[in-house]
Amino acid sequence: MIGSYDFCGHYEFTFAWLDELGGIEAVREYWKRAISVDAQRHVRELILGEGIAGMNKYWDHTLEEEAADHSFTADQDRFRIDMHACPSKGFLLRNDLEQYPDYCDHCIGWIGPLMQDAGFTVDHEHDHCGKCWWEFRKANDPTPPSQSGEFSAEKDVRLSGEWNSTKLDIFRRAKDDRTKG
Amino acid sequence: MVQKDGNPSVLSNSTLPYRDIKPTGAAGFYLGINATFRFIHDTYGAEALRQYWRDLGSRYFAPVSKIWSEGGLAGVGRYWRDFFGAEPGAEVAVTSEFDRVIVQVARCPAIQHLKNSQREIMPDFCEHCYWVSRAIGQASGISLVVRGGNGTCRQEFFHSCAGEVQKLEDIARCS
Repeated sequence: MIGSYDFCGHYEFTFAWLDELGGIEAVREYWKRAISVDAQRHVRELILGEGIAGMNKYWDHTLEEEAADHSFTADQDRFRIDMHACPSKGFLLRNDLEQYPDYCDHCIGWIGPLMQDAGFTVDHEHDHCGKCWWEFRKANDPTPPSQSGEFSAEKDVRLSGEWNSTKLDIFRRAKDDRTKG
Repeated sequence: MVQKDGNPSVLSNSTLPYRDIKPTGAAGFYLGINATFRFIHDTYGAEALRQYWRDLGSRYFAPVSKIWSEGGLAGVGRYWRDFFGAEPGAEVAVTSEFDRVIVQVARCPAIQHLKNSQREIMPDFCEHCYWVSRAIGQASGISLVVRGGNGTCRQEFFHSCAGEVQKLEDIARCS
């Protein structure tokens, strides 16, 4: 049996396996169809149905279950996640697993299509070391993402000393991993 | 052995090759496993899915092959005790008989969670237990047969020289 305990390890193996079979398009299709539409069906229902309140319900439950070091900040127009220690990437780093070039892309790979369907746009940055931030706002809201500390105050991951010490992948008004800056 | 929740002190001596800081996995990941199987099957076909399982066994789980090679059947038994101890909701007994290790699954944590979540289970889901373990065992001289499935099953592990062969029709399809 393959299990849930080391899921992130064989999940990442799957990206590399699909990349060998069909390149990045196969991986992208996997994130969209298998994860965003199939596995995360319940998340889709929550966020399409409840918007920002649904985001709060989903991530509050799942990040607690995965023992993440994170915070949420929300108002009626936007929802922000500051991830200080991603449990998923942390598992890979602790176990020295790097089978696919950028594991972190899987999140925008499944969240991007979901948010697009729900009418939200995504601003996101990750540092490949377990830190990242996300801001979701309505697709017709042209407001740029907040400046460091402006919205989530001291919880803003960009204020941590380690932020910017590695290469950042930057996504603005993103729909999937193709919009990496 | 019946273990519903993992115990960090058990995991500190665990044979599991990849370790997490929390004692058990998150059951929600079973939804991802089921969806992954369905995606590969529906996109690339049944043989591609079996190849994926074989590659998982021979590549990702290569450290488990080493444990089985070095520990023999005792290593196989210890691995499965540790494995199911870290899976949420598992009810599994691992016992040894004179020439084999028997993994009696009274409640499969994955099938249980998928059913509780009212998800359509990939019909061939239970075959992965055979193909992944077969590939792990090939590098260590261990074979297995699986009987049952869809929530409960019996898996017997023995030295490959025993000559028993899996009949795939003995593995139940899931619904």
